[in-house]
Amino acid sequence: MGSRASTLLRDEELEEIKKETGCEFGQITRLYSRFTSLDKGENGTLREDQVNFRGFMRTLAHFRPIEDNEKSKDVNGPEPLNSRSNKLHFAFRLYDLDKDDKISRDELLQVLRMMVGVNISDEQLGSIADRTIQEADQDGDSAISFTEFVKVLEKVDVEQKMSIRFLH
Amino acid sequence: MWKQLKKHRSSSSASSASCGESLSEEELARILEQVEDKKKLIATMRSKPWPMARKLAELREAQEFVEKYEGALGKGKGKRLYACRMLMAKKWAKFKRDFDNFKTQCIPWEMKIKDIESHFGSSVASYFIFLRWMYGVNLVLFGLIFGLVIIPEVLMGMPYGSIPRKTVPRAEEEKAMDFSVLWDFEGYIKYSALFYGYYNNQRTIGWLRYRLPMAYFMVGVSVFGYSLMIVIRSMASNTQGSTSEGENDNFTFSFKMFTSWDYLIGNSETADSKYASITTSFKESIVDEQESNKEENVHLTRFLRVLANFLIICCLCGSGYLIYFVVKRSQEFSKMQNISWYERNEVEIVMSLLGMFCPPLFETIAALENYHPRIGLKWQLGRIFALFLGNLYTFLLALMDDVHLKVKTTNFPPIPSAHHISFLKYNTFLVYNVHELKKFWKVDRPSCSFGSDVPASRKSVVAPLSDVDVHSPQRKFPTVPIALFCSCLFICYLADCELSKEFMRLTVSDMLVTYITILLGDFLRACFVRFMNYCWCWDLEAGFPSYAEFDISGNVLGLIFNQGMIWMGSFYAPGLVGINVLRLLTSMYFQCWAVMSSNVPHERVFKASRSNNFYMGLLLLVLFLSLLPVAYTIMSLPPSFDCGPFSGKNRMYDVIQETIENDFPTFLGKIFAFLANPGLIIPAILLMFLAIYYLNSVSKSLSRSNAQLRKKIQALREIEKSHKSVKGRATARDSEETANGNSKNSTQLQLPKEGTMRHSASQSQTLDQKAQGPEASSSAGKAVPPASQHLPISRSPGARTGSGQARPQAHPWRSASGKSAQRPRH
Repeated sequence: MGSRASTLLRDEELEEIKKETGCEFGQITRLYSRFTSLDKGENGTLREDQVNFRGFMRTLAHFRPIEDNEKSKDVNGPEPLNSRSNKLHFAFRLYDLDKDDKISRDELLQVLRMMVGVNISDEQLGSIADRTIQEADQDGDSAISFTEFVKVLEKVDVEQKMSIRFLH
Repeated sequence: MWKQLKKHRSSSSASSASCGESLSEEELARILEQVEDKKKLIATMRSKPWPMARKLAELREAQEFVEKYEGALGKGKGKRLYACRMLMAKKWAKFKRDFDNFKTQCIPWEMKIKDIESHFGSSVASYFIFLRWMYGVNLVLFGLIFGLVIIPEVLMGMPYGSIPRKTVPRAEEEKAMDFSVLWDFEGYIKYSALFYGYYNNQRTIGWLRYRLPMAYFMVGVSVFGYSLMIVIRSMASNTQGSTSEGENDNFTFSFKMFTSWDYLIGNSETADSKYASITTSFKESIVDEQESNKEENVHLTRFLRVLANFLIICCLCGSGYLIYFVVKRSQEFSKMQNISWYERNEVEIVMSLLGMFCPPLFETIAALENYHPRIGLKWQLGRIFALFLGNLYTFLLALMDDVHLKVKTTNFPPIPSAHHISFLKYNTFLVYNVHELKKFWKVDRPSCSFGSDVPASRKSVVAPLSDVDVHSPQRKFPTVPIALFCSCLFICYLADCELSKEFMRLTVSDMLVTYITILLGDFLRACFVRFMNYCWCWDLEAGFPSYAEFDISGNVLGLIFNQGMIWMGSFYAPGLVGINVLRLLTSMYFQCWAVMSSNVPHERVFKASRSNNFYMGLLLLVLFLSLLPVAYTIMSLPPSFDCGPFSGKNRMYDVIQETIENDFPTFLGKIFAFLANPGLIIPAILLMFLAIYYLNSVSKSLSRSNAQLRKKIQALREIEKSHKSVKGRATARDSEETANGNSKNSTQLQLPKEGTMRHSASQSQTLDQKAQGPEASSSAGKAVPPASQHLPISRSPGARTGSGQARPQAHPWRSASGKSAQRPRH
């Protein structure tokens, strides 16, 4: 840990990041050097979203693979950032554009438009959105809440698909 | 802090006391306690509210103390052992971690494959992963053969030139070093350890008394055994991953909505293709929906389907007869003197023409059947396979007549050179043809599936057969199964010493054809399109030739079938596996370069998820097909008289018999004889059949109960859904009414709701959860209603499933309170 990058990252911050995300020291320093190489303006944040290193780490921590021995460690403490529920929450927030904890029909339409471009007509997109809500919605409020989202994806192996193995 | 300093001083006093002799009881106990304290301190250091510098100092001190005294805790003589054990355990943990890291870094070509994945999607990358896996398997096989057969022969066997089978005959000697001769696997290469014919049948060789024939035989058997084991293991691990996916009928559109984007894409061109593929996949689902709602006139459909099948069977019989006729004619031609080029090659021409024109014919006939596009495609594949197999059988049948005739007239097993040359010519001709066909079909094939709904995309779009790209399998299918099957049969007639050469030649020629096709078809085409675009009338990039796409299934099938060839040939040519390793290595680098430089991402970028087991299953089938002829020759044919390690024996497996008699003690021989008794083997086989039957029925019953449970869950879900929507409306109505006569306190809103809803068990359960819901949902951000405190908390186990229901209850409540806030308070 005598590289140039680590001198910019204080030990206290390292400790805090390690506690919050559960990553190892080596991983954090490596990711910090990647972060600095991405950060071309050298102002401590990534270009468009003004994400600083803490935010960067917090987002990446969601993608840490789940290890078995972790489950027994800390039953009373707060849930680690890479648990299945938090991963799904991360995915949910991608689609919930106005952050009201519901995915409404309009948000679905916006996301569909982004995914598909102009190749499908508006009317068909509308029916796709309606059908999606019809499949997933269980309480009849014409929107998809987080629990309904979880139920839709309960058969998907999220732990494996939303995991990136960082090199140690 | 004072307590820490005191402990420090007492620990240092303990150290001075222990310098001399062994410790007394109380000192031991005290040290033990201190060590435990230090350990606890280390574990909880993070949460202590001290500044960082102090934490680090304490940490270092505690670690030193623990290290020093942990060894002292063992009593007397055991103390050293205890220290050693702790040390070993720590070192072992560290070693395991480092080794894991090392293994991850050692995976070859990982960066290249990741690069390709980001440009072309995960399906193209899966081809390269498969190639890498195949390379690993071949490397292991090569190690086995090289280490156990070739090296002993080279080191300890009789040198070149000592016996006739190891020497180039004088007649050939001048030409033996010529490149053209070497390229053909004649000359010095033929008389080397790479080929079966070189090995001597001496029972033991060298000062180690290495049993070479026995080793050769066992290595041949274990090559197949290892390959079988590793293919099945790979298939099993694939299925384990996919069973959790299960039935996705319920949420088709939601799945497409939420999980279709591939977040690993890092290139804008690929992203554009991904748009197109998502569009296509949505349209496919729409078509599926339409198909399932369609009404059918059952009788007309059935009649049309029967008619279509009848027509197709007529076509198949017609093509079989045509081939038979043409082969007979060619045999007559071969007796004549002056024959034209056409008459010489008539068979190959007819077979290729049949292969080119029958499949589109099948497709037009199949339009009568009016199947769902996916099912129609499966039928089409099956029919094409039947066409090619049928052609093959008739071809061989026609040839067999001739060969049988020859066998009868002459007394030794013939080398039907005319026929096997024509077979090889046919094979290479087909290989060239196939690559031609690929390009022809990809551009002009009409899209038969969606009708007017689908806008014409640049290339034709066919309904997906899960994730498999269906264009190419029907074209690659013909060539190498034909080659394999032919080799199966010709093995019986060709001498084993000749066979090895043929396999080598075939492998090398196939490799060359592949490379040349890639160079010409992909690279030169890309160069042409790029550079001629400036001076051409139409846009070359968007229009006719454009850039090639990477042909995944063609390449994977080629890889699989070539591996089949290698397996078949490895018994007869030990050097073949080495050549294959080289070939896979060069192929990896060459294709990585070719893909990145001259291919564009697919129009339909699909995920490589479920098709992996399809290719593994095909690999397994090919393994069996290539095992059969080798097993047949080992068991039934006598080996050649003058070449190979088994020469002079009656059957090849006699070498095992010999080894058991001469090298093992006699009681082992008796045991083996006992085990080989058919009276023992047949009951064992019966037992295995019974075990298979039992396991099969167990697994069927398990999957049935699985399906029933799933249905039950679904039914429950439907009931809940309808229940919730009804109740949602009911509570909204109720809360509107009760909001009228209410005062400010929000909890009083709840009480009337409690009153109306207490009459059913499930509703009271949801009531608990509703009350606990606002507590549980942190994002709701509401104050906990005091009324919830007197509700029974014993229902909490149900809260988990019902917590989802808590939320919806909150909503009408929220809307109700909103409404109440709007009404003027009187």
